[in-house]
Amino acid sequence: MSNNQLSRRRFLKRAGGAAAVGAALGTPTVVPSRVLAAAGKPGANERLTIGHIGVGGMGTGHLNDMVGRMRRGEVNVAAICDVDDRRLEAASKLAGPQADVYRDYRYVITRKDIDAVVISTPDHWHGVQTVHAAECGKHVYVEKPACCTIEEGKAMIAAAQKNKVAVQVGSQGRSTADAYYAYRYLVNGNIGKVHTVECWHYASPADNNPVPDSDPPPHLDWDLWLGPLRWRPFNQRYLHGVFRWLMESGGGQIRDRGAHVMSCAKYFMEADAAGPVTIEATGTVPIKGLWDSAIDMKVVYTFKNPDWVLIWHQPGKPVPMENGKMHGYGAVYYGDKGQLVVWGGDGGTWTESKARDWQPPPGAKEVYRSPGHKEDWFQGIRTGKPTIMNIEAGVGVANLCILGNLSLILGRKLHWDQAKQEIVGDDQAQRLMSTPQRWPYCL
Amino acid sequence: MEQLQTMTVEQLIARIKDTDDRLRGEAWQNAGPVGAAAIEPLAKVAADAGSELEVGRSAKRAMWKIVRHVGRPGADAEKKPVVAALLSLLGENWPAALRRDVLWMLSEIAGEDAVPRIAELLKHTELREDARCCLQRIPGQKALEALRAAMAAAEGDFRAALAESLRARGVAVPDVPSKKLVPTKQTSVKPVGRT
Repeated sequence: MSNNQLSRRRFLKRAGGAAAVGAALGTPTVVPSRVLAAAGKPGANERLTIGHIGVGGMGTGHLNDMVGRMRRGEVNVAAICDVDDRRLEAASKLAGPQADVYRDYRYVITRKDIDAVVISTPDHWHGVQTVHAAECGKHVYVEKPACCTIEEGKAMIAAAQKNKVAVQVGSQGRSTADAYYAYRYLVNGNIGKVHTVECWHYASPADNNPVPDSDPPPHLDWDLWLGPLRWRPFNQRYLHGVFRWLMESGGGQIRDRGAHVMSCAKYFMEADAAGPVTIEATGTVPIKGLWDSAIDMKVVYTFKNPDWVLIWHQPGKPVPMENGKMHGYGAVYYGDKGQLVVWGGDGGTWTESKARDWQPPPGAKEVYRSPGHKEDWFQGIRTGKPTIMNIEAGVGVANLCILGNLSLILGRKLHWDQAKQEIVGDDQAQRLMSTPQRWPYCL
Repeated sequence: MEQLQTMTVEQLIARIKDTDDRLRGEAWQNAGPVGAAAIEPLAKVAADAGSELEVGRSAKRAMWKIVRHVGRPGADAEKKPVVAALLSLLGENWPAALRRDVLWMLSEIAGEDAVPRIAELLKHTELREDARCCLQRIPGQKALEALRAAMAAAEGDFRAALAESLRARGVAVPDVPSKKLVPTKQTSVKPVGRT
C-alpha cells in the first residue's frame, strides 16, 4: 500500500484486517468516527481517529496514553509520524500494526479519515503544523508552548476559528485536581486581591562540551527536523530533547516550564484575555556552545486594569512543600490578605491543604473542573465548547514567554498593546514578532 | 556578568580571540556599544576557517550583540553605519555561511535603502532563500516590490517560495498555487507487526 493517500474504502478494508490482528492482540477494531457519524461532530460514543505527529519524548507519552484509550475502545490510532526513523519504528511497536507510519506530517493531515492529531514536535514546528492541520479540518492537541513567535500565534488562532476545530494546548496543569482547588480558593477572595505572582524555576544548563557541526545521522531527516527554521548544518547539540536550550527551537525554561507555571497563573487570575503592558527581562546566557537560552533569568510583567505583577524568576526562591520536600518550580500568589503556593504547574500540580480542604460557603463562586486534559479536548471536539487550554489561552501564555525572551535578547524593556497584539515603539522588536519561515514549511 | 567599560575594537577582537572562555564570553556579551567599526574585524574572525570553534562563534555573537544594541529606539545614528558595514559583507569574497547570518542581521535593522543590494541575492542559488526571508521582514513598499519583481522572474520552487513571502506580507497571489500542504518525504520504516 502507498503510505501516503489512503482512500476511505481501502481504509475500511484495512480496518477489517486490522480488526483481526487487533483481536489477536487485544486491540480494538479501527473504524474512523466519520464512518459512524452521518454528519457534523462525532457523537459521544463514537471513536475519534487520531494521528500522532512527533512520537519521541512527550510524543511517546501521548501515544502511550492514546494506545491505552484505543484498548478501552475510546479512540483509533491510525497514523504515527516522525522525522527520526528510529523513533518511528519504536513508536510503531507501541501503536500497533493498524497505525500507518509516516515521515512527513502532511501525509497525516491530508488523510480524510483522521479526525484529530496530537502534535508533539519541537516547538518551532507547533505553529506551522497546527495551522496546516486546522486548514485540513483536523482537531489539534499541540504540546506547549503553543508558538514561538507572536505572528505564529495569531495565525494559529485564525486557523482554528476559521475551520472550527478544537485545539487543546498541552499545558495540562489546568486540568489537575489541585489547580481546580487553587483556582476556586483564589477567585473566592481567600487571600484578598492578588497583586503579585512570583514564579520560581531551576536554572537552564550551559553546554560545557560543545561539538562542531557534522553530517546528520542516516536515520534522521534533518531538513524536516529544521522545518521552518532557517537552514544550518546539523549539530548534535540540536536534538533530541536539548532543542529546549536553543532560543529558536526551544526558548529555554521560560518557554518550556514557563508555559506551564504561567498558564496556571493566567488561569487563576482569570487573565486569559489579558496581556502585560510592559515586559522587562534580565539574565545571563551561556558564554560558549550552541545553546543560547538564558541560564538564569528574571522577567517582570506588569498588568493593568486590574493591576498586578507576574514575575518569572529563574531560579528564584523555591518554597518547601508541606511535606518538607522541595519542588523545582512553582509560584507564590501574594494577596492583600495572605498568600497561596502552587507547586509544579504541569501534570504534577499541588497546592496548600488550606485550599484543598476549603469548603465553599453558600453563594461561593464555582469554577470549572476539568475531567482531564485529553477528556476536556474530546469534549471540545464533540460539543464545540472552548477547551480549558484553548488556542487563544495557549497563545496568550506563549506570548508571555516569547516577550520575556525578546526583552532579554534585545536588552531592553518592551511595551505591549494587548488589543492590537503588538509591541509598541520599537521597530526591531516589532520585526521580531515574526520569523520568516523556510519554504515550503510556511504558515 | 558585570558590564565592562566600552572596549575599543582592538580590545574586543583580542578578547574574542582569547582562549579563556570567560574573557571571551564577557567580550561578546558586552560588544554592543563598540558599534559599526567592529563589524568587519569581527566578520574576519568569524570567517577564518582556522579559528577555534568557540572563537568563531563568539565573533558572530558579538556581531549580533551590536545589531541588537543599535536596533534600540532612538539609535538611528548608530544603526546606519552598522547596516552599511553589514551590506559590505554580502560580497562573494565572504563565505556563504557568514553571509546567511548577515542577511538575518539585516532583516532586523535594515531600511529601504538596503533593499536593492539584498534583492541582488535573490538570484544567488545558495543565498536566495535567506535573502527572501530578509526582505520579507523589512517593512515598506521597496521590499515588497523586490519580492514581486523576483517572483515575476523566478521559476519552480523558488517562485512558490516568493509567493509565500508575499502572502505573509498580505498580498494575494492566486496564480501561484501554495505547495505547503503537499507531502513529499517518504519513510522506509514499515508498520511493525503488519502482515
